[in-house]
Amino acid sequence: MTDPIVTLDRLRVTFGAGDATVTAVKDVSFSIAPGETVCVVGESGSGKSVTSLSLMRLVEFGGGSIVDGRLTLMRPDGAVDLAQADTATMRGIRGHDIGMIFQEPMTSLNPVFTIERQLTDGLRLHLGLSAAAARDRALALLKEVRIPEPERRLKQYPHELSGGMRQRVVIAIAMACAPRLLIADEPTTALDVTIQAEILALINRLKREKGMAVMFITHDMAVVAQIADRVVVMYRGDVVEEGPVADIFANPKADYTKALLAAVPRLGEMRGKPAPEPLRLVGDDRAPQPLTPAANPEPLLEVNHLTTYFPVRGGPLRRHIANIHAVEDVSFTLNKGETLSLVGESGCGKSSCGRSILRLVEPASGSVILDRKDVLDQNPRDLRRLRRDMQMIFQDPFASLNPYMRLSAQVAEPLRNFGLAAGSELTDRVAALFDRVDLPRSYLRRFPHELSGGQRQRVAIARALAVNPKLIIADEAVSALDVSVQAQVLNLMMELQADLGLSFLFISHDMAVVERVSHHVAVMYLGRIVEIGPRAAIFENPQHAYTRTLLRAVPIADPGTRKLDSDLSFTPIPSPMHDLTYRPAPSTYDTVAPGHLVLRENA
Amino acid sequence: MAYLINRLLSVALTLFLISVITFAVTNILPGDVAMMIMGTQSNPEALAGLRESLGLNDPQIVQYGRWIGGILTGDWGTSLVFKEPIGPLIAQKVTASALIVVMSMTIALVCAIPLGVWAAVHRDRWQDGTASTAALIGVSLPDFFWGIMLILLFARGLGWLPSSGFVHPADDFTLAVRHAFLPSLALGLGLMAHLTRMTRATMTGILGQEFIRVARAKGLSERTVVWRYGLANAIGPVLTVAGLQVGYLFGSIIVVESLFNYTGMGWLTYQALLNRDIPLIQGSVFVIAAVVMLANLAVDLLYTLIDPRIRLA
Amino acid sequence: MRGFLTPKGLIGAAIVIIVLAIAVFAPLIIPDKLATAMDMRARLSGPTLAHPFGTDQLGRDLFYRVMLGARTSVLIAGSAVLMSIVIGLPLGIVSGYYGGVIDNVLMRLVDTLLSFPALLLALTISAVLGPNLTNTIIAIGIAFTPFLARIIRGEALRVAQMPYVEAARAAGTTDAMMIVRHILPNIMPAIIVQGTISLAFAILAEAGLSFLGLGTQPPDASWGLMIQASRDYLDVAPWTALVPGAAVALTVLGLNMFGDVLRDVLDPRTTS
Repeated sequence: MTDPIVTLDRLRVTFGAGDATVTAVKDVSFSIAPGETVCVVGESGSGKSVTSLSLMRLVEFGGGSIVDGRLTLMRPDGAVDLAQADTATMRGIRGHDIGMIFQEPMTSLNPVFTIERQLTDGLRLHLGLSAAAARDRALALLKEVRIPEPERRLKQYPHELSGGMRQRVVIAIAMACAPRLLIADEPTTALDVTIQAEILALINRLKREKGMAVMFITHDMAVVAQIADRVVVMYRGDVVEEGPVADIFANPKADYTKALLAAVPRLGEMRGKPAPEPLRLVGDDRAPQPLTPAANPEPLLEVNHLTTYFPVRGGPLRRHIANIHAVEDVSFTLNKGETLSLVGESGCGKSSCGRSILRLVEPASGSVILDRKDVLDQNPRDLRRLRRDMQMIFQDPFASLNPYMRLSAQVAEPLRNFGLAAGSELTDRVAALFDRVDLPRSYLRRFPHELSGGQRQRVAIARALAVNPKLIIADEAVSALDVSVQAQVLNLMMELQADLGLSFLFISHDMAVVERVSHHVAVMYLGRIVEIGPRAAIFENPQHAYTRTLLRAVPIADPGTRKLDSDLSFTPIPSPMHDLTYRPAPSTYDTVAPGHLVLRENA
Repeated sequence: MAYLINRLLSVALTLFLISVITFAVTNILPGDVAMMIMGTQSNPEALAGLRESLGLNDPQIVQYGRWIGGILTGDWGTSLVFKEPIGPLIAQKVTASALIVVMSMTIALVCAIPLGVWAAVHRDRWQDGTASTAALIGVSLPDFFWGIMLILLFARGLGWLPSSGFVHPADDFTLAVRHAFLPSLALGLGLMAHLTRMTRATMTGILGQEFIRVARAKGLSERTVVWRYGLANAIGPVLTVAGLQVGYLFGSIIVVESLFNYTGMGWLTYQALLNRDIPLIQGSVFVIAAVVMLANLAVDLLYTLIDPRIRLA
Repeated sequence: MRGFLTPKGLIGAAIVIIVLAIAVFAPLIIPDKLATAMDMRARLSGPTLAHPFGTDQLGRDLFYRVMLGARTSVLIAGSAVLMSIVIGLPLGIVSGYYGGVIDNVLMRLVDTLLSFPALLLALTISAVLGPNLTNTIIAIGIAFTPFLARIIRGEALRVAQMPYVEAARAAGTTDAMMIVRHILPNIMPAIIVQGTISLAFAILAEAGLSFLGLGTQPPDASWGLMIQASRDYLDVAPWTALVPGAAVALTVLGLNMFGDVLRDVLDPRTTS
């Protein structure tokens, strides 16, 4: 093995001073060789980002300080200890020897400067290029990261580019001076799955072609499996395990790694299973009980030709000038005691569809039949009554609870609204709901800020369960949670379904999670369902081109199934905004098999 | 183009609303113009006659129509105190006030932006503590207090500058600026303190953004990161707040111009208010509100030049 | 709550409490005679043992008059801000929560009103109604309403879009209960912070109005009136301006410090 480019030796980083000192990184050592991708993986608070920022000595700008350890970087003219380097040396290293990519492509670029300026200022600084030479190099870089129409991009501002393109620009900036080490801090976390696949393939190709060392920070084990050569697992500021990627996945040694891997749903592992099945978690001895498929499924919710537009207003009188076609002629049926998943990338209309069913937004047309009553026909009073049967769980556990209300009052609110319980009966029912979602009763008197994200999501579930609904719409309900917490909440939802016969409309962007929990799956694209059918049909026999694209793009948490060999490029999603005269064609479907429908193109 | 038309329509609508509000506020008077002209001891019959001839017995809407018609055709009426046509009177005073408003805004911006950036860069350290405390004290002192202190120090104490009066810039520019200097400073110091706080808050937010980290990760010097990357983003919000403060300045000139006997719009409005000169009050209030609105419009348009995200869509 | 244990928080709170205490108790303790007694032999006297803050042009003791002026300032500023919140709260909530045409019309009006400098609006209303204590309150109260309505509307709009409001709606919460249980408690911190800052502005506005003779009228004691009276004696007796001026400045400074700390404590979203 070649000599490492960078070696971390007993790195220790603290934040704050005096009594308030927090040690974010305790004792971290590892190294990265040229041409090697080392993934640093861990959940929030593990210190993985602080480690990467320490290498760039950017941690100081966030109030942290390196109190111990050596960070040896090999430069052509000898080794440098980054922990001790002075400001001028560090400025020469940043962007020159080490390039860095960050998580948020939407905020990583300066909104008031052109792409050209942001690409060239590093080149002119480090390589002393003239303006014209820097411009040529910038153009070459944009071509290297495969941005369409690179000449035009140079003159553009960041807001004129899509998220995926911005991340390519950020990568081009990091690659500008041909760094020997590339640090990528969660570079794909904020991106859709197809864009993520493109960016991962790009980083992989650049590493191969340039022989760079790559330090890749992520929380996502599936991404690790796809891109890592070696893996460093971090937990609360310490390295708990380190090794080649195949070993880590096949034969994890640390308990934490085992628990982490057990909590990750892997695309394809539900193959051949008739019904959703809870994840088998470490430390939970109960064998997972697969849900029994209903013998005679009865429909609970029938959605027909549901269409929702959002008006776009403009001018001094705020006239209605255009429509965003969020949901376009969507039809499906959800059976009692089953889960139907709506899956798709951001902006595909899946959330709007869920909210239209509850009439949190008003649909333009269609019908939503819940237990033989059309939700869209109800007057406000009847609608309120009907909402007892359908409840919702939201994505952001920090925003879905009122910060100024005690948890008991928030869970009690639906019961009080419908006059279902009062006095001691109310107290008892709320306590029972807390038991039901495995929250200690001592939390009843607490306020939301005293809870973790997963605990808050349990409160939100308890609130949804309070009125004994038949249907729960879960809108990205586990997306904001760490993977181990996500697994617990998913298991809770499946357990509730088995015990109470609940139906879930499960809205998600995560194909692996969807495969875990669904009886039926509907894939959405540009407001329409492009393919719908039993879970096995969608995952094992996808017919629509977009479904296949999605499945091809999803990273699999198995280093044996790598997908990044070639450059990937998917067609970008067009805008759903149309002027007022636009009349879309109805959705028509071909039946592939009973219950398995595929949208007919150009219908 | 469509954007500009929309913008102009919006301005017209706002001007119309401003005129309605001006008229409504000044017409809730218990007394009326006739009484002002003839005095409270006058003959009731003569008073009634004058009311009739001035059209004060007409419905409010007719009176409003007559007033706004006059405004549009350039006939703004005659001041009861100055016995002069209101239009030219206001035009002359507006230029006097424009001089101190522009001077005070310039003083405030030139000092506040570097000070606020400096405080944000040294956030939570002694530099920030000093600048923030000074700014906090600055926003807490009333303008007339600043004015009195400046008169005591520069006019009475050191005798450097005149403490009273107005000279037209066309007559003697240097003298005009000397007369305008203390009132401008009295207005500008409070504004400077306010804008320093704003700049600091905006810059603090911007320096925490991801693109600042990206700029540092490129190896750019801290000076470039702060004064180019950071300030380019802060300047828009700071100018917007400065534009909103034009309204505050046009309120403050009433106090400060009276204190310095500087005969501008503020002084004129004050004379009108003191003497309940209703036609002059209406004209002055309308003009001040219109100027404030147009100043904000100008800042909005300026913003579209600074921030590429809101180029005329 | 730790924010109040900083120097800024402690000084701010101390000033606010002391000014409030003076406003409430000074008129009860100080006999009227002392404050209005004209000591003709000691006109425009500088600070002495008998008159620690000096005397004014009529030989009245400035220490007592400043104490009594606190009540006028606090009463007018407090009532005016209360008035603008009472009017602005329903307007802002209706506009922000319901949106639509009501919101468009109301906010167009509010934006137009914001083109009128608050001090000009207050002066005009006061001049039109005839200056006295009640009308000064009304004038400042109306002049500050558009600003508060805007702030409250923005907050109500922000809260109305929170997922917990949607969750409550899905759980059958009616509009009235939504406003009481969810909207009001969540916009309250912003109202408290803005109210405190508005108090500081209202103190300044009252002083400005009285200084111009269009606010509090003699013989009521008011800081603005005292500064106005001092203008003719600036050369010989600068303390007649400095004493009431410092009273205004200290009060406003205390309120601003208190407001800054309140914002840090109640509203972690904004850094100031």
